[in-house]
Amino acid sequence: MLNLIDFLNILLPFLYLITFVMYSYDFMKGKKQLANSKRLFLFITLFFHSFYIVIRTIHFNHPPITNVFEIFTILAFAVSFSYFILELVTDIRGTGPFIIIISILFQVISSLFIEHVVVVKEVLKSNLLGTHVFSALLGYSGITISAVYGLLYLILYKEIKLNQFGLVFNRLPSLEVLEKLSFYSAIIGFTLLTIAIVIGVIWLPKAFPDFSYADPKLIGTSIVWLLYGFGILTKLLGKWRGKKVIILSIVGFVIAILSTMLTNFLSLSFHSFY
Amino acid sequence: MNLLAVSINHHTAPIELREALYLGSEDIKNLVDDAKGKLFSEGLVLSTCNRTEFYGIPVNKNISYFDLQNFIIERKHSHNISPEHFQCFLSREAVKHLFKVITGIDSLLIGDNQIFKQVKDSFIISEKMEFAGFLMKRVFDSATIVGKRSITETEISEGAVTVSYAAVQLIEKIFSALHKKSALVIGTGETGEIAAKHLKDRGIGTLAITNRTIEKAEALAKTLNSKIVPFANFKKHLHEYDIVISATSAPGLILTKEDIEVLIKKRNYESLVLMDIALPRDIDPESKNIEYVFYHDIDSLNIIVEQNLSKRKAEIPKVQKIIEEELDNFFHWYNSLQAAPTIKNLRDYFEAIRTEEIEKNKNKFSKEDQEKLEIVSKRIINKILHHPTIELRKSAESGESTPESATRLGILRELFGIDNHKPDEEKK
Repeated sequence: MLNLIDFLNILLPFLYLITFVMYSYDFMKGKKQLANSKRLFLFITLFFHSFYIVIRTIHFNHPPITNVFEIFTILAFAVSFSYFILELVTDIRGTGPFIIIISILFQVISSLFIEHVVVVKEVLKSNLLGTHVFSALLGYSGITISAVYGLLYLILYKEIKLNQFGLVFNRLPSLEVLEKLSFYSAIIGFTLLTIAIVIGVIWLPKAFPDFSYADPKLIGTSIVWLLYGFGILTKLLGKWRGKKVIILSIVGFVIAILSTMLTNFLSLSFHSFY
Repeated sequence: MNLLAVSINHHTAPIELREALYLGSEDIKNLVDDAKGKLFSEGLVLSTCNRTEFYGIPVNKNISYFDLQNFIIERKHSHNISPEHFQCFLSREAVKHLFKVITGIDSLLIGDNQIFKQVKDSFIISEKMEFAGFLMKRVFDSATIVGKRSITETEISEGAVTVSYAAVQLIEKIFSALHKKSALVIGTGETGEIAAKHLKDRGIGTLAITNRTIEKAEALAKTLNSKIVPFANFKKHLHEYDIVISATSAPGLILTKEDIEVLIKKRNYESLVLMDIALPRDIDPESKNIEYVFYHDIDSLNIIVEQNLSKRKAEIPKVQKIIEEELDNFFHWYNSLQAAPTIKNLRDYFEAIRTEEIEKNKNKFSKEDQEKLEIVSKRIINKILHHPTIELRKSAESGESTPESATRLGILRELFGIDNHKPDEEKK
């Protein structure tokens, strides 16, 4: 089984790369020749990836969330999986390259540096921790997608304002659609982050004797959560819209990335396992 | 094939002459009445604002396109029109010209797909007037295939190539669901009217019209089933609309930047699209600097038009390839109407049936009878085909293909399903 795990580990970046090339080809050419086959290939990639996660979990007897590079493969999966669902629901197929490239990035780093961790701390084997981490990662992939659509919105907004009717203008969906995609992904991300935070706040103090509410990761995530909560609320109440909400979403994403990097690599707390 | 065609179009004549030669459907009917049987046995007359064309199969070989030109010039009594204003085509070139016209690559606005319908309408008139015979029907069928193929297989008709349509295309890059949006069109001139029609066609939720002369607004509103806003107080209602298209002939600005700033505040910064397609402009161009306001004038819309026109021009070679393919198909069919190939095909067809039936049944006969069967069946086929072969050979010996003989051969081929034979099968 170890050989199969190693093989899939090498195969996955290539699968994502081929999916990316197919999506990019359609985007550049503006034709819909690969409209169905690219979606099918994304599905195949996600199928292999989920199979990889499952056999890895079975073989090493713990979900792959015990180090950064295991987390990265989950993130790669979560981002593309969320995109896949979004594409199925909305049938907007032109924005794939901008999302799948994120999965490639995470998966390549993961495939290069991932190790066979057999012995892990007992606490990391908990199923509740698994749910906590999975919902947090899916939540982060939601806000990542929201930020990508937000960025595309800003680019298209600028192109239309400046009368630059190039590739982006011709290929992207309308501003209203990009705004909606960004908003819906933010709502999904926010909901999953809420679940992660709730599980964390209830369960973590019991699991870790040195638990602290002043933990940097907890504070960072809470700030991101509050920011998205504020953005979603103002948008739903009709106070803010368009560019303002989009910028808030991108700021939220940047803070999320920075806080994750800072807390993981710089600080030492109960919340840093790797 | 002796199909003749003459065309006066934007390549050959200025607009005044094209207008002078324009034929309404009644004119076309009268023209066909006069030409049918005297000059042409069958034909097609096409007239649009950019071209007037006559395609016809002459009743005898003495009729040339000079007669056709004179016939048209005399009918329209226009002294300024002379033969150099006409393009003339014969046989393959005439069919090719019709194919080019129907695909829109010969149009003033390249890829204009309205021409497809106009050719179809002209053909319907010919058909009603019993002026579309066996050959013209086939020409029209082939032209329809060319037109449809060019639309589905190329991007010759893709993208907006008029300012009014470019405005709508741009609006659709800002708003996704036009049926949930409202639009106000200021000015009912030609540009405003076209823009309003485009919005209606794209399913705009609410459409309102305003114009200095209320009667004109009422007339347009009636045709488009839209609301009317009095021009005197249209500014009061402006915030109710997501899209404002302005196309008046006012000498100065009718909406200043300050007006727009007040407007966007009233809209609580909900996106507002301003399309200023008037010359001189109606809306202060500085409005484009206000957030959530998408201001575009003719110059910016022309960028889209030019881009789309370039894309369409790049598609012309693909369309020409389709035209050549379908021309080959058409002339392959037409040449099959020559007598000699038809005699051969007909004999092959009967021989194939004879051989097949003999093969199936020969075991029911003794060896001796099998030989007799072969001889008798061949004799029957020869007797059946004797008279038709003599008649067809008469055409072959005369060495020319008249429309009558072509029609006769065509019907014969259709009756026996000979056209289903592939060329390579025939060679075998």
